[in-house]
Amino acid sequence: MNRFKTKFSQILNNMAKTNEVLRLDKVSKIYGMGGEKVIALNNVDVTIFRNEYTSIMGPSGSGKTTLLDVLSTMSKPTSGNVFIEGVNTTKMTNSELASFRGNTIGFVFQTFHLFPRLTALENVMTPMWINGVPRIEREARAKTLLEKVGLKDRMEHKPGELSGGQKQRVAIARALAMNPPLIVADEPTGNLDTKSGEIVMDIIKKLHKDEKRTIILVTHDKNVGKQAEKHIYIKDGKIIKNEKIETNKKTK
Amino acid sequence: MSLLIFDLIENSLRNLGRAKIRTLLTLLGVIIGISAIVSLMSVGNGFSNSIESQLTELGSNTIFVIPMGSSFVKNTRMTPGDISFMEGVAGVTQVAPVYSTSAMLEFNKQKINVQVSAVDSKNANIFDNTGSFTVAEGRFAGANESGSIVIGDKISNTFFDKKIEIKKLVKLNGEEYRVIGVLAPQNQSFGGGFSGSTSVLMSLEAFKRIVPNPSAQIIFVKTISAESVNLVASDIKEYFEEKYGEGVVIVSSAEQLLEQVEAILGIVTIFLTGVGGIAILVGGVGITNSMVTSVLERTKEIGIMKALGASDKIILSIFLLESAFIGAVGGIIGIIVGYTLAIIIAFIAEMSGVPIIPDINLEITIGALIFSMIVGMLAGYFPALRASKMDPVSALRYE
Repeated sequence: MNRFKTKFSQILNNMAKTNEVLRLDKVSKIYGMGGEKVIALNNVDVTIFRNEYTSIMGPSGSGKTTLLDVLSTMSKPTSGNVFIEGVNTTKMTNSELASFRGNTIGFVFQTFHLFPRLTALENVMTPMWINGVPRIEREARAKTLLEKVGLKDRMEHKPGELSGGQKQRVAIARALAMNPPLIVADEPTGNLDTKSGEIVMDIIKKLHKDEKRTIILVTHDKNVGKQAEKHIYIKDGKIIKNEKIETNKKTK
Repeated sequence: MSLLIFDLIENSLRNLGRAKIRTLLTLLGVIIGISAIVSLMSVGNGFSNSIESQLTELGSNTIFVIPMGSSFVKNTRMTPGDISFMEGVAGVTQVAPVYSTSAMLEFNKQKINVQVSAVDSKNANIFDNTGSFTVAEGRFAGANESGSIVIGDKISNTFFDKKIEIKKLVKLNGEEYRVIGVLAPQNQSFGGGFSGSTSVLMSLEAFKRIVPNPSAQIIFVKTISAESVNLVASDIKEYFEEKYGEGVVIVSSAEQLLEQVEAILGIVTIFLTGVGGIAILVGGVGITNSMVTSVLERTKEIGIMKALGASDKIILSIFLLESAFIGAVGGIIGIIVGYTLAIIIAFIAEMSGVPIIPDINLEITIGALIFSMIVGMLAGYFPALRASKMDPVSALRYE
């Protein structure tokens, strides 16, 4: 635990120095031991800088999900290294990695993945107790976050009593609970109707614009993906296009 | 981690609460196991304590002579010659044969089977000088009073619908007797294993009206001092072995008898605790089964927790706490149920003439509690480990 703490303070130091939030260095992921091998990621290099809003797009089976798993440290690459805030995560043990992930990455999932028996407020507080935030700080922080996503009057509701859009907003508040340097959203509008989807995308956009957050958006939907500033296209486990859209005209 | 512990406990309790029926059934398994162990130990200890105190009360200068019978003779009868031999052994101060039988006590048209005991006239003091028997009301029967009896307090107060008052006439196996004394309530039983509370005491003359040709069940031999007990006992033993053969008559000092009884009780206790142990093992398997199901059900949740930063240690703790909690609660309820059972068993035993004070002590209580928690943790360890080692990605996408 102490070893981890020193590591974490190193990260904080690095944060000041580097502008690089995430770097994938020659990352490959191969599934299937023996027999038929599937190369899901083939020697991929990706760098995400601070305050970037990036979308990762690609058809199903392109390796998009695997890329998401690897860059979010949920699964380890077969070869290559994943650096988050300058720290090489591939050498960490599973437990070190989990605590590290809890403090550096906020997740938003397509199917929300809220805890059904907990209220919205409790859902937002969950990462805080897991990551050791003192009890007294949790509630105030969770309330602020839920207000921010416009759910001030839904805090005591359980997911079953919320609409899809509201659930996803709870999930966004939860992703922000630990104030992580990186937000990873996996098809955040995939299970939502157009209107709710728009509200969710607006919140994500605001997080980027107003709060200068670094966001990675994984989607197969080009209309959603286009809203990001940087587009990464993946196909057959390889990055086929990585384009930065220069300062968009201020249409809105 | 210290900060976490309350959150982990809160989380575990919540999770147990959501599968109420499963939790309750699992608890039941633990309760049965722990209560079996606790009640058996409590009754076992209580029984052994009561025998111990009886034997010590009789004094370290007492020898018991118990005619057992052999394969040839059903019940060896002590002859007057045997008695006078014992009286003649150097160091012996008193030889008191005790006669007992069970008889039908009839009062107010109600019939109940009771234990009847008697001593001969010159040993009439044996009932009161042990300190075990005190007359609360009335007096002991004199040597030649063949029509008077003393009854235990339970016989007087609770056995019959109507209280048997002093001076009342009752019938024993059809013979009429007058109650001249009621014993004070007491929990000790006399050497022969009968309780004063549920006994009828009388003179040998009175006893002969029920059993015309009585034979002593047990003979108390008192010696001058505790030091001479073993010497006297071996003299008597030698005499009976020569006369009747080995093992026909048991000759034992209070101390020797205590050792033997404790050895037997020890074996019985080990056996019964083993039975309780099997019950607890089954309870433990129940916990494992319930936790395996719970882990499987919550696979996706485990994945989410891991994504949110939960280390393997946290996941392990969540599930271990749940099983430890089942163990602890099962233990606490099991201890309460166990002691209750022990009290009921003791009550039934007392009604049948064997007084036992159930042993309710801190050692059994704390021991059972710790034991149940250990069983809970051990039983939950394998499922908890499995949960903690789950791959986050496959857990998250588990359907």
